[in-house]
Amino acid sequence: MAKVGVYVCHCGSNIAGVVDVQAVEEFARTLPEVTVARRNLFMCSDPGQEIIRQDIRDGLVDKVVVAACTPRTHEPIFRRVLEVEGLNKYLFEMANIRDQDSWVHAHDKKGATQKAKQIVASAVAKARNLAPLEDKYVDVEKAALVIGGGVAGIFSALDLANMGNKVYLVEKEPSIGGVMAQLDKTFPTNDCSACILTPVMVDAGNHPNIELLTYAEVESVDGYIGNFDVKIRKKQSYIDWNKCTGCGACAEACPVRVPNEYNAGLDNRPAAYIHFPQAVPKKAVIDIDACLNCAGRKIGRELKISKKTGKPLLAPCERACPAGAIDRSLNLDPKGELVEARVGAIVVATGFKVMEKECFKNLAPDSPNVMTALQLERLISATGPTEGKLLRLTDMRKPKTISFLSCVGSRDENHHTYCSRVCCMYMIKQAKLLKEKYQDLEIYMHFMDVRTPGKDFDEYYTSALAMGIHIIRGRVGGIDKLPGDRLRVQGYDADLSSNIEIDADMVILASAIELPETIKPLAQKMSLTLDGSGFFKELHPKLKPVETAVEGIFLAGCCQGPKDIPDTVAQAKGAAAAAAVPLSQGRVKIEPIISEIITDRCSGCGICVPLCPYGAISMDSVHEKPRAVIDITQCKGCGVCTTACSSSAIQLHGYTEDQIMSQIQALTA
Amino acid sequence: MTAINLTDMDSGQVINEIVKNGGEGITRCIQCNACASVCPVAQAGFPLYGRLLIKKLQTGHFEEIIEDPSSWACQACNRCTEICPRDARPFEIVFAFRRIQAQELAISASAFTPLMNLYETGHAVYSESSKELRAKVGLPQEPPTSVGSEKAKEEIRTLLDNGPMGDLGIF
Ligand SMILES: Cc1cc2nc3c(=O)[nH]c(=O)nc-3n(C[C@H](O)[C@H](O)[C@H](O)COP(=O)(O)OP(=O)(O)OC[C@H]3O[C@@H](n4cnc5c(N)ncnc54)[C@H](O)[C@@H]3O)c2cc1C
Ligand code: SF4
Ligand code: SF4
Ligand code: SF4
Ligand code: SF4
Repeated sequence: MAKVGVYVCHCGSNIAGVVDVQAVEEFARTLPEVTVARRNLFMCSDPGQEIIRQDIRDGLVDKVVVAACTPRTHEPIFRRVLEVEGLNKYLFEMANIRDQDSWVHAHDKKGATQKAKQIVASAVAKARNLAPLEDKYVDVEKAALVIGGGVAGIFSALDLANMGNKVYLVEKEPSIGGVMAQLDKTFPTNDCSACILTPVMVDAGNHPNIELLTYAEVESVDGYIGNFDVKIRKKQSYIDWNKCTGCGACAEACPVRVPNEYNAGLDNRPAAYIHFPQAVPKKAVIDIDACLNCAGRKIGRELKISKKTGKPLLAPCERACPAGAIDRSLNLDPKGELVEARVGAIVVATGFKVMEKECFKNLAPDSPNVMTALQLERLISATGPTEGKLLRLTDMRKPKTISFLSCVGSRDENHHTYCSRVCCMYMIKQAKLLKEKYQDLEIYMHFMDVRTPGKDFDEYYTSALAMGIHIIRGRVGGIDKLPGDRLRVQGYDADLSSNIEIDADMVILASAIELPETIKPLAQKMSLTLDGSGFFKELHPKLKPVETAVEGIFLAGCCQGPKDIPDTVAQAKGAAAAAAVPLSQGRVKIEPIISEIITDRCSGCGICVPLCPYGAISMDSVHEKPRAVIDITQCKGCGVCTTACSSSAIQLHGYTEDQIMSQIQALTA
Repeated sequence: MTAINLTDMDSGQVINEIVKNGGEGITRCIQCNACASVCPVAQAGFPLYGRLLIKKLQTGHFEEIIEDPSSWACQACNRCTEICPRDARPFEIVFAFRRIQAQELAISASAFTPLMNLYETGHAVYSESSKELRAKVGLPQEPPTSVGSEKAKEEIRTLLDNGPMGDLGIF
């Protein structure tokens, strides 16, 4: 006979305000094998927990039911209560009478009380049949993978490396740095982005514990927390990075011109190029899709000697390279090289993209004088296409009037409903930088409302006002093109209660921050889910902001949602700290609530194999007959196989047949 | 109403004028409307109460509003300045604008009569009929203020003649 203790929680007025908790307590006492039933204002509080502990110590109970809020946050707390008193912690069952009862039936107190009684009865029925389970452990590989080398990935990698872990930092571009490396200056202090980022990039590049894998992408992720097996594809750079000194001679010699990603497409780069001047690592790559294979130098083609000159016929890049890093005769594999690594934890820091202006047909996207804020960022940067001078690219003349349009694609049911969070601030930043440099420039900023909620941010905004930058309340409806490459901004000024027009020389779109579509396959490879806004979903928006639904995989930076650099760095350090926990523990627990094959009953039909969403089941030969086996490190305890097996050969611990059937009986009694 | 084209408005110059005339808080206003919520000018239904006047000036409107009499309805109660969360001191901006209006001889009729009264009688609000009323209750016909004192009136005129008001040549 079990001795079941039932503890009914008031949850302040969350439960007791609707459910007659005293009636539930008295009802619980009448249930079979219940030895004690009590209640408390907050069962999770110290005194609340102590009530259970005392009953266990007094030998009154050996199985515990707490009727309270939700197992999602509170099951671990109560399991620990059992554990410290020497009971098996899986002899605990939670009756959810808040989330599933008092919260949803607030209007029907009688009905809610009746339902609470039934939920408790069902939990008690299951508790009577609970059996102890044992935790299992596996060793952890003391290494981490960080995907994405933006400011988020760099800080996560550095923190993990400084704690003594081996870190693989994978970046798809030839250099780390991400969007921050494209910025001119950064709010709210206006310090030069490169000046604060470059030293950190160099630190990451030189760190003995960090293996920098740039121009590389993650191809597959297998395994589980503690032991992820990852395959990383290093793209073919067509240049020997062991020899390349980053001198840039090949880029100077190369005749090709294609849009330059680093300058947000404002100018062109060669096919042989270095990502940007402060690149880490500073190595050249050849963009083979754009390459002309000059002098017939297709990769892998034998070297020919000129009949006329008697000299070898080399491509300009080959000839220019003083380090001999380019040899187009080599039969280089276009697929690059596969690197395999085993890591204990993964930090995803793949960042974001800004919406292109082409998405906004009403805003004259075909005019070169309409540009995104990221393009303006490059235009005003000293390393940008005009060396920092504000010039209209159509006529290379200085504009007199600039309009900034906020919330372009953000807070918009047609595109993204969320606020992109950084645009108000960076627009004010760009306006201030321009006004400081060109005092006669007229600057208008059209806002739905100005959002400057960070530390020192509102003061930043106020200082822009004092400089004479015009803030106009009202979203812009359209842009008309005028002769002379001018643009007529059609707006409304809510403060004037009037339609307004501005004939601007340039228009800057603060276009929305979004997760690039191209990330979705990576998310699938890691079984990560995206949230309603399309960003990576964290496990809990408040309490687990860097964790994901996959144990051992963590999130940092804008891939989890729009944020500025201060917040990105803070989250990156948070993700590193969270990822370091399993690495430093050395072993991780495997939940015992997983499925087991009762081999004697298995008919070997194999139905369960393709059904398992985690690929945990395979067929093996037992006594020369095919039988299903489950890899306990892969099983997540979802129960799909259990319900599918027609021979009842699969048992899900913690949810066995007699446990579930007794629950159903209690509910239908 | 057609759209206002802001491009040709010289907002910088208008703001400078206001600052020169004592309204240096003009760039601090964020159009929150707190001042309007307590302003008798707004309550009385004058179109260009403090907040909106500031907005018009911030965006360079000048010619269109120079004749508007709203500013002359300001009671100098100063409640706007007490309530403004940005220390824009709207009352000072209203008065700066009033100074510019005066310089442009755009003084409202409602303000003109009291001004002339002040120059002539020594009181901004003064009525001849009060003499009779005073006599009826046994008071001297002229109150013992500037009204009855030629010397005081002379002093007031001297002040007005020699100040910026005198330059307008309206007396
Ligand atoms: C116009 C503009 C101006 C801004 N100005 C400021 C400012 O002044 N101050 C401020 O605080 N913030 C500013 N921000 C915000 C700032 O850019 C972000 O907070 C910051 O860049 C986020 O860093 P991240 O590392 O999360 O993402 P990212 O910078 O996007 O870095 C992500 C990295 O991951 C790489 N990557 C992506 N996918 C993969 C993959 N599959 N495999 C490998 N690598 C991958 C990318 O190539 C990139 O290098 C601005 C943003 C914009 C758009
Ligand atoms: S062969 Fe070399 S120089 Fe010619 S286009 Fe290709 S990268 Fe440029
Ligand atoms: S319980 Fe779910 S995860 Fe485990 S083996 Fe069955 S189907 Fe796969
Ligand atoms: S001082 Fe003038 S503008 Fe200010 S609240 Fe009073 S009446 Fe209005
Ligand atoms: S209270 Fe101050 S900030 Fe608000 S509208 Fe009036 S002047 Fe502007």
